[in-house]
Amino acid sequence: MAMAQKNASAAPMLSVRNIHKAFGSNEVLKGVDLDVHPGEAVALIGGNGAGKSTLVKIIMGIYQPDRGDVFIAGNKVSLNNPSAALAQGVYLVPQEPMLFPNMSVEENVILGFEEKTADLRKRLLDFTRQMKWEVDLSRKAISLSIAEQQLVEILRGLMRDSRILILDEPTSALTFDEVESLFRVIGDLKAKGISIIYITHRLTEVFTIAARVAIMRDGVITLNGPVGDFTRDDLVKGLLPPDAQENERGEKRPVPECGRGKPVFSLIGFTGYGFADIDLDVHRGEILGLAGVVGAGRTELATTIFGRDEVLRGKAILNGEDITGLSTPKVIEKGINYVPEDRFLNGIYKISDVAANTSSARLYLMGKVFLKRRDERELTNSYVKDFRIKITSQEQSVGSLSGGNQQKVVLARALSTNPKLVILDEPTRGIDAAARGDVYAIINRLKAEGVAILLISSDMEEIVELSDRAIAMYHGRINREFEKDRITQDNLMAAAFGAV
Amino acid sequence: MPEFLKKRLLRWEAFLLVLLAAEIAVFGHLNPRFLRIPVLLGSINDFMSICVISLFVTLVLVTGGMDIQAGSIVGLASIVVGLLWKDFGVNVWAASLLALAIGAACGALSGFFVAYTGVQAMVVTLGGSFLYSGLALAATQLSDTESYKGISGFPRAFTAFSKYRLFGMIPSQTLIFLALIAVSYVILHKTRYGRCVFLCGVNQSAAEYSGINSRLVIMSAYIFSGASAALAGVVLTSYLGTAKADFGKELTLPIITAVVLGGTSNLGGRGGVIGTALAALVIGVMRFGLSMSGISTQYLDIPVGALLVLAVACRTFMDNPDISRRVRRLFARRKA
Amino acid sequence: MKILKTVAQAREFTSFLFVVALFLIVGAINPDFLSLQNILLSLNGSVVFTMLAVGIAFVIITGEIDVSIGATLGLAATVSAVLIRDGSSWIAAVLAALAVGAAIGLANGIGVMILRIPSIIMTLGINGVVRGLCYVYTGGKWVENLPFDYKALSQATLTGEPGSVTWFYLFAAAIAIGIYLLQTRSRRGRYFAAVGDNEGGANLIGIPVVRTKMTAFLLCSLFAAAAGLMYVSRIGFVTPTAGNGYEMKAIAACVLGGVSLSGGIGSMIGAALGAVIMASIGRILVFMHFSSNYDNTITGILLITIVVGDALLQKRASERARRKRLSARIAAKPGGGA
Repeated sequence: MAMAQKNASAAPMLSVRNIHKAFGSNEVLKGVDLDVHPGEAVALIGGNGAGKSTLVKIIMGIYQPDRGDVFIAGNKVSLNNPSAALAQGVYLVPQEPMLFPNMSVEENVILGFEEKTADLRKRLLDFTRQMKWEVDLSRKAISLSIAEQQLVEILRGLMRDSRILILDEPTSALTFDEVESLFRVIGDLKAKGISIIYITHRLTEVFTIAARVAIMRDGVITLNGPVGDFTRDDLVKGLLPPDAQENERGEKRPVPECGRGKPVFSLIGFTGYGFADIDLDVHRGEILGLAGVVGAGRTELATTIFGRDEVLRGKAILNGEDITGLSTPKVIEKGINYVPEDRFLNGIYKISDVAANTSSARLYLMGKVFLKRRDERELTNSYVKDFRIKITSQEQSVGSLSGGNQQKVVLARALSTNPKLVILDEPTRGIDAAARGDVYAIINRLKAEGVAILLISSDMEEIVELSDRAIAMYHGRINREFEKDRITQDNLMAAAFGAV
Repeated sequence: MPEFLKKRLLRWEAFLLVLLAAEIAVFGHLNPRFLRIPVLLGSINDFMSICVISLFVTLVLVTGGMDIQAGSIVGLASIVVGLLWKDFGVNVWAASLLALAIGAACGALSGFFVAYTGVQAMVVTLGGSFLYSGLALAATQLSDTESYKGISGFPRAFTAFSKYRLFGMIPSQTLIFLALIAVSYVILHKTRYGRCVFLCGVNQSAAEYSGINSRLVIMSAYIFSGASAALAGVVLTSYLGTAKADFGKELTLPIITAVVLGGTSNLGGRGGVIGTALAALVIGVMRFGLSMSGISTQYLDIPVGALLVLAVACRTFMDNPDISRRVRRLFARRKA
Repeated sequence: MKILKTVAQAREFTSFLFVVALFLIVGAINPDFLSLQNILLSLNGSVVFTMLAVGIAFVIITGEIDVSIGATLGLAATVSAVLIRDGSSWIAAVLAALAVGAAIGLANGIGVMILRIPSIIMTLGINGVVRGLCYVYTGGKWVENLPFDYKALSQATLTGEPGSVTWFYLFAAAIAIGIYLLQTRSRRGRYFAAVGDNEGGANLIGIPVVRTKMTAFLLCSLFAAAAGLMYVSRIGFVTPTAGNGYEMKAIAACVLGGVSLSGGIGSMIGAALGAVIMASIGRILVFMHFSSNYDNTITGILLITIVVGDALLQKRASERARRKRLSARIAAKPGGGA
C-alpha cells in the first residue's frame, strides 16, 4: 500500500488511455486504461484472447489503435511503427523469440544500434555476466534452445536501456535457475527506475516481482491495484468469467478406479535421443502423469513413441504387440495418438476449416479414394458438441478461433482415430481457465471410457489434479514414481528438479 | 476451406468469368469472325499447353511448392516422341506413352528432391528446367535430323487426332481440356489424396503429426505436373506435326500467371483448379484475340504480365484492408 | 588461427574451393584450360553475369526474388544502344539505362512491399511487360551499327594488351568486394541479411524492413541495367530478346555461390564466384571436347547436385548437433554411487 502511494505521487512513465482496437468485426480492446510508474513492475494477467498481447503490441507500435492515446513521460506520442516506440525507449520481449536464426548471438543482440561495435560488445558481456549466463556469443541463433533464445531476447531488451520494458510471458520456457536470475535482473532494473510490464500466466510470479497487478478480460481491465491488496484466490476469481467459477472448483473429480492387470501400453528400456532406459506401464482407464522441467526429455520420449524419431534401444508394446520404431501413420493405425506440445507448429492447420482439422488424422478411415464429406461433417459435429467448441460454422478457419478452442480441435483430431493410448503433451499450455476446465472434463471422460492416457505437463498442479499415478523425469531418465496418494506438488517438484 | 475464403473464391471465379466474357465481347466487336463458334472453340488449340499444364501446376502450388520446369518438359516430351518414332522406329503411340512416362519421371526426380531434401522448390525446378531442356537439346543430337528443323513426317493418324472435331465443331483438344478439368477437379477437391495435398500445403509438420506421409504427397504433385507437361508436349507435336526441343520454352510466365490469377496462393494451402482453368482461358483468349486483331505475338507478354500484376494486386487489396491504409499513408508522406 | 577457421567456415569459401576444383579437374583433362590467358578469359567473360548475380543477391538475401532482371537488362541495353547509335553522348546513354533500371526497380519494390504482391508473381509480371516494351521500342528490329569505340570499351584492359583483365571485370569485381565489405562490416549492410533472416524480428528491433527491401529491388535493377550497358559493349548489337533467360542463370549463379533462396544467408563474393562458374560452363565443355549443347544439362546437374548436397550436409550436421545436444542431457546411469 505504501509502495503504491509512493508511485502514485510520481507522474506515470507510461499511460494508455481509452485504447480501442478491432480486427475486422472482432473487437479485441474495448477502452483500456493503464498507468505504469517509473521503477514499477505491473503484472498483466488474463486469459488467452483477453487482449494482453494486442495491448502491448500497440505500445510497441506494431499495431495502431483505432481510438485512444498513449502518453510516455507525460507526452502524447504516436507510435506508428516499432522504430518510433524504440525511440521512445519502449522495448517488447515477445512471447515467441524473434531472433535471426542465421546470425550469431552477438549480432542478434547488437543489430539495430547506432553505437560502436566494441562498446556494444563490452556492454553485452557485462549483461551476460550479470545474468550469470554462459554462452558462446558466436553461436548461431538457430542452434539455441527455446530457453536460450528467450534469454537472448531479454539481453536485447536490457541492452536497449529502455525506459519501459515489456516482457510477454518470459519464463514460459525457462528453467528454475534461469527464472531466478531473470527475477534478479528485473529487480536491478526496477531499482534503476525502469518501468516494467510483465505478462504472465503464473500467479506466483505476480507476487514475487510485481508491485501492481492488472487483470484483463474480454478487452477491458477488470481489476487493477497494488498486489498486496489481493490474495491468490482473488486473482483466480478475477480471471474467470463470472459464470465459470463453479466449473473450476465445484466439480468433484471422480474417484480413480484404474483397472490394473495387463497394461495397455508398456515401454521396456526405451532409449532414444534425449532420454534413456524408460520403463513404464499405462493401464486401461488410467492417467499416468509425466512431470519434468523443459528439457527433461518428456517431449522427445513422446515423439519417439509416436514415430517421429529413431528408437535406439528398448521396446514399445501396445496391447501385447511390439510397435517399436513404426512410422507415424502405422502408430496411429495401431491405436496411439498424440496431442503435440507446440500447437502452432505441429497441431493446427491455421487456414483450414474446423472440419478439415478435425478429420485430418482420420483420413485413412474416411474413404479409400473419395473423401466421405458426410462422415467428416458428422465427426466434426459430434466433437464440436461434445467438447463445447465455439464456432460459427464448420467452415470457419481454425486460425480465427481462440487458443482454447484451437486446442480442443487438436484434441478432437487426436481422439478421432479412437486411440487406445493418448499422449497429451502440455494439453493446457496457453489456454484460459474456462477452456482448461473443459479440457480436464474431456480428459476425465476419456478415462471413464477406458482410454489409457499419458499426461505430460510442467504444471504440477495439473498432474496432481488429474493423475492416477505419476512419474517424474529428470535429465532423460525416470527419477521417481508416485502412487496416487503420494502425488503432491512438492513431491513432483522435488523429483522434477532432481532433488531426490 | 474457410467460409469467407469460399465466398471470396466464388466471387473471384465469377469475376474471371466476367473478364472472359468481356474479352470475348471486345474481340468480337473488333473482329466479328472471332465470334464464330468454330473459331472461338478452335482458339484453344493455340494455347492448349498453358491450359493443361496449369491445371496440374495448381497442385504443386497448393502444396506450397513452385514449378518453373514444366515448360522444359514440353520440349523434352516432344523430342522424345520424334526421336523414338523416327530414329528408333518405335510406334508413334507407344512413343507418346513413353514420353508421358518420361515426363512423369522428370517430375518425380524434382519432386523427390523437393520433398525429401528440403531444398526450395524454386531452386530444384530451376535446376530441373536447365536439366530437362538440356537433355532435350542433347537428345536432338541422337537424331539424324538437324535440330533447328525439328522432326516431322509423322503418320496421319497421329497428326490428325489433335485436329479432329466432334460433330465437325468441337475440337478434340477442347474435349481433352474439359476431361482434364474434370479429372483434376476430382483429384484435388473430391479425393482423400486431394485433401492431403491441401493439408500438406497449410502445415506440413502438422500433416506429419496427423499421420500423413507428407513427403510422398508433395512429390506426387510434381509427378502430376510433369506428366501433364509431357501430355501437352505430345499434343503440341501432333498439332504442329513437328517435334522440337525448344517447345514450351516461353510457357513459364503464362502457366504461373494462370495458376495465380486463378486464385491459388503461391504460399500453399489454398486454391482450386476451376479458377485455374478459367484464368488459363482468360489468358489464352487474350493472346488469341490480340493476335487476331493484328497485334504481333511478341507484344503479348505485356498484357499477360500486366494482367498478372493487376489481378494479384486487386486480390490482395480486397483481402487486406491494411494495404489501402498503407498506400494512403505512402501518399500522405509524399505530400508532406 | 581463428581467422583461418572463420574463413574456412564461410559459405563463399566452399564456392571458392569448388571453382578451384572445377578448374583443376578440367585442367587435368586439358592442360590448356589452366593457362593464365584462359582463366582471364573466363573471368572477363563472366562480367555480365557477375553484375546480374551481385545485383540479384541483394534481393535474394532479403528473402525475395526478382525474375525481371533479364528483361531489365534487355530494355536497358536497347535504350542505351539506340541512343549511342543515334549519336547521343555516352553519358546520356548510361543515364538513360540507369533510369530504366531505377524505374523498374521502383515498380518492383512498390508492387512487392506496398501492394504486397508476392515477389515471384510481381517480377514475373514485370518481366513480361518489360520484355514486351523491348519489342515496342525497337519494333522488333535489332539495334546494330554501334560505333566502334563503344564496343572497344569492353576490350580495354588493365595492361592495355589484349588478353589481360578488362576494366569491366575489374569494375565488377571491385564492386562485389566493396559491397561485400559494406555488407558484412557496416551496421546497415547487415540489415539486408537481417530482414531476410527474420522479417518480423527485424521490424521489432526497428530495422526499416520496407525501405531495406525496396533498396534491394532498386539496386538489383540498377545492377541489371549496368549489366545491360556492358552487354551492349561486349556483344556489339542488341536483339529484342537480349538477356532472355539470364535471370535464371543469375539465380543459379547465386545458388552455386552459396546464397540461400530462403534469405538471410550468402554474400556478394559468393554470388560473383557463382557467376564465374555459370559463365565458364560453356567454355569448360569446349575444353573437354564436348558439344556446348550440353551447357544446360551440365548447369542443371551442377545446380541440383550442389544445392541438394549442401542441403543434405546441413541437414545431417544439424541433426547430429541436435542428437548430440539431446544425448548430453541424459544423466549418467543411476545405481552406481547414488
